Amino acid sequence: MAPKPSSGKERLINEEEEVLQAVVLADSFNKRFKPLTTQKPRCLLPVCNAPLLDWTFESLALAGVQEIFVICRSHAELVKAAIKNSKWSKPSTGLKIVPIVTAKQTFSPGDAMRDIYTHGIITSDFVLVTGDLVSNVRIDEVIRAHKERRKHNKDAIMTMVVKESGARHRTRSRGDASVYVLDPETSECLHYEAVTGYPPKAHASIPREILDEHPEVEVRNDLIDCSIDVCSVEVPSLFQDNFDYGDIRRDFVHGVLTSDLLMKNIYCYIEKDGYAARVKDTRSYDSISKDILSRWTFPLVPDDNHPGGHSYEHLRGNKYIAKDNTVVLSRECQLGNNIMIGSNSQILGNAHILSSVLGQNCVIGPGTTIRNSYLFDGAVVGANCVINYSIVGAGAKILDGSHVENGCLITDGVVIGPQARLGPYQRLSTKRQHKPPSGDDSDNEDSDEDSEWDEVEANQPSDLLIKLGAESNALVWPADTVDEDEEVDELENPINQRLMRIGRLPFLELPQQSILHFPGGDDVSDLELSDLGSVTDSESESEFSSSENDDHLEINAASSTTSLPLSSTTNLVDKADSAAISEFHHEAIQSLERAFSEGHSVDNASVELKTLRMASNVPLRLVREAVIGFIVDRIKVVPGGGPEQRKEIATMVGRWGGLVDRIGGVDAVETVEILQSHCASSERLPLFGQILAAFYQDDIVEEDDIREWYSQRASRGDDVDAGLKENFKKCWTVGAHMIKQFDEQESEESDGDEDEEDEED
Amino acid sequence: MNFEVAPTESVTRREFLAVILAGFGNELLPLTGDHGDEPCPKALLSVADKPMLDFPLSWLEQSGIEDVLLICPSSHKHAISHYVQSSSASFTSLNIDIQTYDESQEMSTGTCSILRHFSSRIQEDFVIMPCDFIPPPSLPLSTILNKFRTDAMSDGSIATTCWFENSKLDKGAFPEEWGPPPTPTTIVWDDTSGTLLYVDTLDDQDRNGQDFELRMSLLTRYPRARLSKKLQDSHVYVCKRSVLDVLQQKRHLDSLKEDFFPWLCKVQYQATKRGKYGHTLGVVSNSASHSMSMKHSTLYTDVPKARAFLDVRSHASSPAPQSEIGLSQPPSPTGSDDDESITVSLRIGLHVHRADSGYAVRTNNLQAYLEANRRFLSETSYVLPSDPTKRSLIDHKAAISADSAVGDFTRVEERASIKKSVIGKHCVIGKMAKIVGCVLLDHCVISDGARLEGCLLGGNTKVGTKSELKGCVTQAGYEVEEHANYRNEKLDVSDWNEGHQRSEDSEEEGEDDGDEEDDD
Repeated sequence: MAPKPSSGKERLINEEEEVLQAVVLADSFNKRFKPLTTQKPRCLLPVCNAPLLDWTFESLALAGVQEIFVICRSHAELVKAAIKNSKWSKPSTGLKIVPIVTAKQTFSPGDAMRDIYTHGIITSDFVLVTGDLVSNVRIDEVIRAHKERRKHNKDAIMTMVVKESGARHRTRSRGDASVYVLDPETSECLHYEAVTGYPPKAHASIPREILDEHPEVEVRNDLIDCSIDVCSVEVPSLFQDNFDYGDIRRDFVHGVLTSDLLMKNIYCYIEKDGYAARVKDTRSYDSISKDILSRWTFPLVPDDNHPGGHSYEHLRGNKYIAKDNTVVLSRECQLGNNIMIGSNSQILGNAHILSSVLGQNCVIGPGTTIRNSYLFDGAVVGANCVINYSIVGAGAKILDGSHVENGCLITDGVVIGPQARLGPYQRLSTKRQHKPPSGDDSDNEDSDEDSEWDEVEANQPSDLLIKLGAESNALVWPADTVDEDEEVDELENPINQRLMRIGRLPFLELPQQSILHFPGGDDVSDLELSDLGSVTDSESESEFSSSENDDHLEINAASSTTSLPLSSTTNLVDKADSAAISEFHHEAIQSLERAFSEGHSVDNASVELKTLRMASNVPLRLVREAVIGFIVDRIKVVPGGGPEQRKEIATMVGRWGGLVDRIGGVDAVETVEILQSHCASSERLPLFGQILAAFYQDDIVEEDDIREWYSQRASRGDDVDAGLKENFKKCWTVGAHMIKQFDEQESEESDGDEDEEDEED
Repeated sequence: MNFEVAPTESVTRREFLAVILAGFGNELLPLTGDHGDEPCPKALLSVADKPMLDFPLSWLEQSGIEDVLLICPSSHKHAISHYVQSSSASFTSLNIDIQTYDESQEMSTGTCSILRHFSSRIQEDFVIMPCDFIPPPSLPLSTILNKFRTDAMSDGSIATTCWFENSKLDKGAFPEEWGPPPTPTTIVWDDTSGTLLYVDTLDDQDRNGQDFELRMSLLTRYPRARLSKKLQDSHVYVCKRSVLDVLQQKRHLDSLKEDFFPWLCKVQYQATKRGKYGHTLGVVSNSASHSMSMKHSTLYTDVPKARAFLDVRSHASSPAPQSEIGLSQPPSPTGSDDDESITVSLRIGLHVHRADSGYAVRTNNLQAYLEANRRFLSETSYVLPSDPTKRSLIDHKAAISADSAVGDFTRVEERASIKKSVIGKHCVIGKMAKIVGCVLLDHCVISDGARLEGCLLGGNTKVGTKSELKGCVTQAGYEVEEHANYRNEKLDVSDWNEGHQRSEDSEEEGEDDGDEEDDD
């Protein structure tokens, strides 16, 4: 429909004053829909047979927005083309949509906001939404409230729209929820606490100081974040000033509320009647589709104002059948409630369709059951198939007799079957059409993508064909793709992600007695979240201790049906770790090289190393290894040895040895160990004794440290490879000499000491 | 239907027993300090013109509760029982059973252990109340009792309590030397169901002085909780009998207010505690007839589930029951919360009394005590007594403002001025004495020309001529010398013998104590 400018004279006056602008972040900045999003961006995925972006535009038009900036990143051309071809670009709409392509380096909504700032497109208060919004909220009301507030309080920079629901509303994500602390009178947001489903959050921490100014507040866990924000002009500049703000909620809102310097206020607008939700994961995709079918989004419903421009007939039981009489329904087919069937689709034989959405040109074979699933345009399902709680991409073919269970995502064009058996939470895509020619047109992101593809291809299970069927062209995506070099966000934790996936939710026993009916028909699952903590025997103190795990959620993810074996997760973590380590090593060497060649002071070098260590989160030992290794390698080997060599060592150690103890911790025994292992594996083995002596001279190691190192079993090289064993042993003997010298220097009384140590070993 | 199973004696059985705890009132020192060998029980300090204890007793009387167990220190028993039996306290409908416990003022026994000690005397649901809660007329006890009755019946609530909003005290209204005003307690409650969820204790503050740590299980169950430090505990707790059984198990807890109830709040949403104490607490008192009627109700279908749940809870390790659900989605996205009301919630009901609906106070510290007296003055207006004998005691030239109260048989001398003050009985106000914003307990003697402002004087205090006191509190029997000048001090008698020696010649002291309460 053409957006009607909101009625009323006031509105018109406002229009003259300033145009209502909206910014749509048409990128999700996460990979929750992978692999569905390999070929098109999430905002173009159809929800109830209309692209998500169109739902968003429709929602904004309904709210009287006149100018929309669409920030696109991945698949930007597709988004641009979609905007160009949509009805919104027709002159009659009165809606100006400007796509803005941001750099591929935009990794977070915060980056996008900084981009907006640099573009300088924002002239007044604006509406910030994501490109996956479905809403019928009167945003103009929110804007009015926001502007009214701004008149009295210039520091009220943002109004977040939240929807009142219940703690367990189906559209409220369990993996990514939040607790708001609000002032009951003004709805000022005083504290924002993000809640992840896993690791389960036991406590919400609410700062005590809030009560100093607001003696009575409301703690709300029943709000759905609609991610509609009415922002003032300064919001993008705040992002610009605080370069570390990534997420709008977790970083920006939290940062503003906790900052002692900013003194800005954020308010909530509690929407009671309207509907607004984000398709932020496949689970919310499911629930929002259901909400649309159940007409919670009225007036945005399939039979009226369908954003895709289709027309549907609304039948009893919330069945929507395309109106153009092209849908073929066989006599025997059975249609349940809450379904939607696009035009030219055919339901053959005695197929059952229950609570599902079928796109246009779909074909469902006889005897097939489709339950709680979403088939995009042109999906073809053969005879006697079962599809449960899954999403099937456009043009995908599921051949006869296949079973697609619980939570599968099948990308456009995939063919599986016949007789394919897909376990729960499988994700399939087609194979890559072409190996991208390396180096020419593939830009940054593509190569990023490629590595992911490579990984996927490398990890194909061996029994693939048995499971996918003989005619399949599919690639199975591994259980979860936590990108190795990306730091693993808590939110994107694979187990947490499972709470956001389409499929039957695990049965959750609530901390209370209630036996809960999940609207999604959840009964059992592999992921068991339960709160039955152990009963402590020693009641007296533990009753008060917060460690009592009475309401912790136990995750039992290792049960048989899981698609997420924990071992794979740990592997991934290991891999991620090793990547981090090697990167750190590289960086540390570079930093040291700079320090040596440019003659930095030890202080400066140590600060740099400390920063590096924090950034890569590596253990202290690694830093020590890097430093010692570097110092040792820098020592010139003087062919003749003797005093020349000793001088060389003394200068080097004198100049840089201090760094060893300045990297954030002192552990001289470890220093000797590292020195030993480093010398043992390099050609500077003969220098070990001299370097150690130089360390001793410079007080980097003490006599006791050498003794302790000497007494350690590992120092003798028993545990190392045969090749190095000899070298280790040599070092150890050098140590023995040294200790002998110490002993001689001091007195003769400790003779037996050494023997004793030997015996111990 | 078989209704015979309903216990027949329940008709005659009393519903509640009221337990009034009358302590020493250490926060009110030196007002509650001993007067020689005679104690000055806190319960008998007067607020406006009647002893504090009068308020809870008449509150009880209005609510229809008849049986009262009054627990006081043994040293106070004489005075209190004298008061209770005296004609001035006309609580004819109450059966007051005074019991004592032994403790000294220095080492007070916790309220929990007192209650444990007397638990054998409490055989039914009970109401614990302090002797110092002064409820407003807008808050009858029956409001709280009714909430308890409904909650306990409908969802197995185990206790109901009442918190009231603190009236704002002006800063600087009271001298700092009286000690800091009590720090407000922060609580979390659910407004819609009236459920107390969390009481911030000192332990919690020690553990995390920065943040309140609210359990997510609490917030999931009560997603719209309120957090406030505006409220104060009235110490009125209506409890099921079973609460006592749990109290017996939790032997290390000391104070009802600071330990036990904060702990009890957690039972409702912490699974371990539920599993452990749920059985003790969750016995539905009138289960037979109630569940019977519920079974036959058409609106109320899921009784077996609630039962089954308790069973599941009892073997905490048994697998979670699986719910059978149809395949199609219910069309409404509202959360399904209808199951919760039928299970035994074990929750603690909370009645919140707001400041704008009437002034409530606990006179358990000096500030509150003085404030309460002042409040009552602003509501009454003083008229000279009509009785000629009493009238004759008050000099014609004395100036007594309308917002004052002067007790019977008090003599006010020529040109004395009394403003915004409460004067007890049998006092003597000397010539030219000036009293502003004070509370004088009985038998005080203010000599000529003394000036008092914002003072609390214990019984039998004597103020010498032309002394000036401002913001002072005196122990009973204290004697302020002539021309003395005190500011913001707590004056207590260090050595009684000395005091006695001196007082011998001025007034007949021993007799005063004896007839303290039986004037009318």
